[in-house]
Order: sequence, then structure tokens, then C-alpha cells
Amino acid sequence: MKLSLNIFRTFFLAVLFSLVLAACASEPNEGGEETEQDTGAEENGGESDSESSNGQDLTIAWSSDVKGIDPQGSNDVPSSNVQHNIFETLVTQDENMDIQPNLATEWEQTEDTTWEFTLREDVTFHDEAEFNAEAVKASFDRIRDEDIGSPRAFLYEMVEEVNVIDDYTVEFVTEFPFAPLPSHLAHNGGGIISPDAIEEDYAAMEEGEDPGSYIDENPAGTGMFKLQEWDSGNKIVLEKNEDYWGENPSLDTVTFQVTPEDLTRVGELETGKSDIIFPVSPSDTSRVDNMENASMYVQKSLSLEYISFNTQKEPFDDKRVRQALSMAVDKDQIVDGIMDGAATKAVAPIGENVFGFSDEVEGLPYDPEQAKELLAEAGYEDGFSTTLWTNDDRERQDIAEVVQQQLKEINVDVEIEVLEWGAYLDSTAEGEHDMFILGWSTVTGDADYGMYPLFHSDNVGEPGNRAFFENDEIDSVLEEARRAGDDAKREELYKEAMELLVEEAPMIYSHHDDYLVGVSDDVEGFWKHPNGIFQLQDVSISE
Amino acid sequence: MFVFTIRRILQTIPVLLGVTILVFLMMHLVPGDAAQIIAGEAASQQTIEQIRERLGLNDPLPMQYFNFLLNALQGDLGTSIQSGQEVTEEVFSRFWVTLELAFYSMILSVFIGLIAGIISAVRHYTLTDALTMIIALFGLSMPNFWLGLMLMQWFAIELKIFPVSGWGSPEQIVLPVIALGTAGAAIIARMTRSSMLEVISQDYIRTARAKGVKERYVIYKHALKNALIPVVTVIGLEFGTLLTGAVLTETVFSINGLGRYIVESIQARDFPAVQGSVLVVAVIFIIVNLLVDISYRFLNKRIDLN
Repeated sequence: MKLSLNIFRTFFLAVLFSLVLAACASEPNEGGEETEQDTGAEENGGESDSESSNGQDLTIAWSSDVKGIDPQGSNDVPSSNVQHNIFETLVTQDENMDIQPNLATEWEQTEDTTWEFTLREDVTFHDEAEFNAEAVKASFDRIRDEDIGSPRAFLYEMVEEVNVIDDYTVEFVTEFPFAPLPSHLAHNGGGIISPDAIEEDYAAMEEGEDPGSYIDENPAGTGMFKLQEWDSGNKIVLEKNEDYWGENPSLDTVTFQVTPEDLTRVGELETGKSDIIFPVSPSDTSRVDNMENASMYVQKSLSLEYISFNTQKEPFDDKRVRQALSMAVDKDQIVDGIMDGAATKAVAPIGENVFGFSDEVEGLPYDPEQAKELLAEAGYEDGFSTTLWTNDDRERQDIAEVVQQQLKEINVDVEIEVLEWGAYLDSTAEGEHDMFILGWSTVTGDADYGMYPLFHSDNVGEPGNRAFFENDEIDSVLEEARRAGDDAKREELYKEAMELLVEEAPMIYSHHDDYLVGVSDDVEGFWKHPNGIFQLQDVSISE
Repeated sequence: MFVFTIRRILQTIPVLLGVTILVFLMMHLVPGDAAQIIAGEAASQQTIEQIRERLGLNDPLPMQYFNFLLNALQGDLGTSIQSGQEVTEEVFSRFWVTLELAFYSMILSVFIGLIAGIISAVRHYTLTDALTMIIALFGLSMPNFWLGLMLMQWFAIELKIFPVSGWGSPEQIVLPVIALGTAGAAIIARMTRSSMLEVISQDYIRTARAKGVKERYVIYKHALKNALIPVVTVIGLEFGTLLTGAVLTETVFSINGLGRYIVESIQARDFPAVQGSVLVVAVIFIIVNLLVDISYRFLNKRIDLN
């Protein structure tokens, strides 16, 4: 009898323990919040030996670990930040989002659906393989290979074939005329991997390994840094590539250190353990600004934070209701009250640093009176009740409360429900929601990426259109805009799309976040790209 | 004793099976899809389907479970969905860190808890007793992440005595261990005090004193040993609390331990990682409980383990 009690007790405790752990899963996790969330941080040496004397060792403390180093194996900003230093793309985008040469010296759209790239000739990979047209083909063939199951394959699904013209000329053939191709090639997913590494990786797959298992451990690109050490969950250390084809960086090593807790990162910056911390929570920015040894660096991002409707559910299937709710929400309160001014009010889905943005488009004004009239017109004089979903992100929960309060003014009763991240993505993809809050990052800096997945009827549900918005007019404008060859024509079409999307109001476009980075005063030459990537090529540390 | 140990070890098998089945079902029945999380918000349906197929998430549930069990028996806990690394390797490299953290915190808890408890009991209803118990109540009521942040603010940022974060060097160990061990010390102190008070009022203690045995000897030899049995039980349970509490402490001090790993894996719906680590934790918990049961016998020979 005594023994069976013991079994029972042990079993009970073990179960209780796993339940406690499962419950912990709903703890806010800064890192997992947004798929394209960036994370960055800074410099300065190792763990216990952080007082390294040779100086050029940068430590970046950020909130979440990378998912993988294989640029084709993951699709999150922390991973991109590491990959960016190891792998290079054919072309790149400068701070104004203009396309610049990188591994390709020049390029030309030879026909509607063909593009020709001339490659740089003096480049070798970290594993000493030679960079040429075959290498480019191997990389793009791999990312489009279904056996790899790359989460970034969608960036290149319009590419039909990649042809080697000669050693240093490569041709891309697209299925249909696709104007934003260079922006897509500038994305980290288009980083060129050593053909030898790709071959080894396929060989490992034959033996039952997962795709990318070889490349994650032996990442060979052409970049200015090489992988030195990856201590999963803790840190990644990169070291200078002495054989870099371009100008060598000043830094000897870069350490990306995982520090999940906001206040701990701030403490690390203050005590000099870290040189760059990211992200800084809006409420901690003044503390960083007051530090003697560090200050804030703020960069506008390419992301949008939005409050979306389920446009196929009553009452949100009525355009007037959506407009009314959009006009009842005061975005100033969100930007100033919750984001502490570290954001820009949004007019439409894309912000000013995205190609296709037009400053002539005006958003719906904040006007509760007109909102009430619109509701009355739609037959909801007395308002209605609905639910608003959010995940357990601190800022999103605050936004939900502000929205709840403001919609009360027009007699719309909002009940807030907080869901755990995995469940949240799943249920919004299934269309089980009324309203929800989420973000989207236009990583390519081109309006196509900022609108096509979010609003085209082909992408309803999981691919991005969680508003379940179906509108023929929008569909045709977005299709035409991605095919049009001429920039001026595309800008005109996206202006039209912005106007339509403001008018149709499938979501409340809340704001564009700023990247908040804390940077030590010893760090020189640091900047962060609007796409979230830390630019380390010109960084040096002064003593 | 030997038979008892063997029997207890055999009895853990159904417990472990139960734990794995529960964890397996829980992780698969909650909404959320690992393939969707890996692919991200912007991925196409086709991409997600490819990832799902690659991970074997399309197989029937019982088949996935038996595959997991078969491999686990051979020491292979599978591959983490998130990082693509071996779960066995990932779990054990972090496990030692958490075990170290829990172990040092346990030592701190037991050491401080016992001393405070004994002092309180011996001088019961004095000012010392009241003060000790008030401090213990504070220690018990402070959430460990808050205590951790406060310790960091004072001792790492203001006074710069200890490093802000990390794990490994002796200086780095101090703050997390205090943050994690304080609550346990408080519980053990309170438990020791009440258990000691009970024992001290018993007849055989009065007899011992009447015989003229030295007070010190009465307390440590006669009273403490008997008072320790409930305390040891609490210590065993406290160890589980320490492993759970380590989640928050590890997050605050950026320690790459098992607690943080499990939470991050649950959030990413990384089934193999969660199953593997919970299995390891369950085994540890069972072992600690076994040790607790065996130690009863040392404290009191009248307890018959068989």
C-alpha cells in the first residue's frame, strides 16, 4: 500500500511538473513573436574574458537565438543577421533601398522574362571553392528543390530556370514578367552557398540527415566573416575572413550573444559587457539615453503593425463597418502612449521607405462622429459586440486595450483574448477570428512583398491574407504591378493599390515600428538597414 | 535495501511511459503547427506542406509516438525541429548547467534553511525567532525573477561586484544561485523550525535532558535527526521546484540551461526537443525521489523500506 502511494506520488509530481512547464509556454517571449522580427546586438568579446585587450571584438546582445546558418533553411531576422555576414547575394540594397552591385557587377533585363547577371571574377568561398555561374545555379536550384523544403522558396517560386551562359554570366528565366526580381535576389535567401558545401549537404541527406545539417555546421559563403563557433542557445562567434575580395572589416570577431531578458541586456550595455543591444524596449530608451557610455540608435523599419478584420464574417463583410472602426481608433494614442514615440503612424500597408509608397495617398482620418454615422448607415446604430485577438506580446496587449477603449466610444463592445503564439498563428490562418493584431515586414523593400501576400485572394489564410480579403480590383492591380517592367508605371499602380486599400479598409493600419538599438559610445561606423540587418562592414571599436 | 531499490527502479517504467504519453499528446493536441512556425508568416501553403512532410508530421500519431519510443530506448531522442541538431546532445549540454544551478541553490537553501530553522526552534518565541521567521516569509514571497533583477541592479550594475549575466566562472554563479535558492531556504527554515519544535516537546527529549545530556548534544543528536524526516521530504520536492524556477532565473541571467530550452521548444512546437527534455527531467525527478526514500532509512532505522 505504501509503495503504490509512492508510485502515485512520483507520477503525480512528474505530471504536475510537465504541466507547470507547459503553462510557462505562455510566458511572453520577445524572440518568437514575429516571424520577421529582428534582433540585433553588439560587440565585445566573450563571456568571462570580456575584457579582451586587442579591442576589435564586438559583442551584440539580442533577445533570441538564430534558427540556422543555412540561408535557405530558416526565415527569421536573427538568422538573417548572422547569415548576412557569411553569405553574399548577387545584388544588394543600400540604405535608400536602391539596388547596388555585390557579387554581380552588372545586370540587364534582356527580355520580359529573362535577366542576365555578370558576375565578379576574383571571388572564392570560405572552403576555397571558386565562385562562378555554376555556383549561382547550384544555390538557386537548391532553394527551389522540394526535398529541401526551404521556408524561403516562395521568394523564388516565379523563377523557372537558372542558366549558365558562360563562367561568369548567369541567366534567370521567370515564369511571368516579374519586376521585383532584383529585390528578391538581394534578400538573404538569395545568399550564394559554396557548391562543394551543397554537394556535401545532399550527400548527408542521402544518409538520413536533415537538409542543411552540413551547411549549418560548415557554412561556406563568400562574406567578410566566417563562422568560428556556434554554441546553440548561447552565442555565435564570427571571425574575420582574411581572404575577402572587398575591403577587409576592422573587426576581428563578432559575437552574437543571446540575452532574452530586456533589463539584463540594458545592464550588459551599461557595464560594458555588450557593445550593442537589441531590441531595447520603448520604456527603457530613456535609461539608455542617460547612460554615460552608450546611447540609442533609432532606425525606421520596413514593418507594419496592423489590427485586421475577418472580412468574410459579419459585420466586417461590410466596408462601412471596417471604415467606421478604422476611423474610431486614434493611432496617436498607440504611437505616443504605447510605443513612446518610437514608431510612425501608418496610412496604408507600406511605409515611406518601401518602393511603391506614395505620400499623396491620405489615410482615413480619426473621426469618431463620422464613424458613428457610418455604423448607423450599415445598420448598427446601437453598435455590436466582437472579439479582438492578440498574442502575449506586451505591446500588442496594450494596443488591444487602447483599441477596446476607443471602440467603446462608438458603442462597439470588444472582448480581448490573448492566445499563445503557435495557437495564434494557427487559428488566424484558419479564419476563426473576428479581429486580431499582427505584424508584417516588407523585407524586400518592394510594395509587391508588402501587399501581394497580405491582400491577394490567392493568399487567403496561412500565406498571409489573414483578413480573408477577396477583391477583384485589388487582385488585378497587384498582378499588373508585379509584372510591369517600368518603375514609373509600377509606382502609379501601387499608388492606386494604396488608395483602394485605404478605401476598402481590410485592416486598421496602425504603425510602422522603429528599430531601437542601444549602442556603446566606443562603437564607430555602425548602422542598421531598414530591413533589420546590422551593418558591420565599417564598424570599429575605439578604446 | 537492495531489493527495494531494484523494485523502485522497475516501478519507474510505467511512470515514465505515462509521462511520455501525456507530454506527447499534450504537445500534439494543442493548436499550433511546427511547420507553420518554421516557415513563418509569409510562407506559401506548398512550402508548409513540404516542411510538414519532411518532419514526418503527416504520419499517424501512434506511429510518431512509437517511433519516438523506439529511438529513445536506443538513446536517440531525435532531431530538434528548430535547430536541426541532435536533441540528446542539446539536452545534455544544457542539462548540466541547470543541474549545477539547481545543485548549488539546493546547497544554499539547505545550509541557510537548516541553520535558520534550528536557531529559530531553539530560541522559540524570542526576538531572534520572530526576526528569522519574518525574513523567511519575505524570502518565500519574493518572486525569483524579481529578486534576480534586484540583485543584478545592486550588485552588478551599481556596485559592479559581480558580472551581469552568464554562467561558468565562480563570480557568475553567485547572483543566480542566491536568486534561485532564497525561496527554498525560507521553506526549509520554516519546515525545520516547526518540525524541531514538535520533536523538542516530546518525552524522550525531556528524558535525555533529565539524564543530564548536554543541550548541544540533545539538539543535534536526538532532536535534529528525528526532525529531519519531513525536512528531507520537502528538500526532495524543493528540487523539482528548483528545476522549474530555473526557467526564470536562466532567462534573467542569460544562462543557457534546460529550463529555458524547454520553454523555447514548447513555444516553437519543437516536439522532439520537448519530449526529450521532459523525459530527462522526469528521470531526474524520479531519481531524486528514490534518494529521498532511501535516506529515510538512514535517518530512522525503524522505517522499513520493504
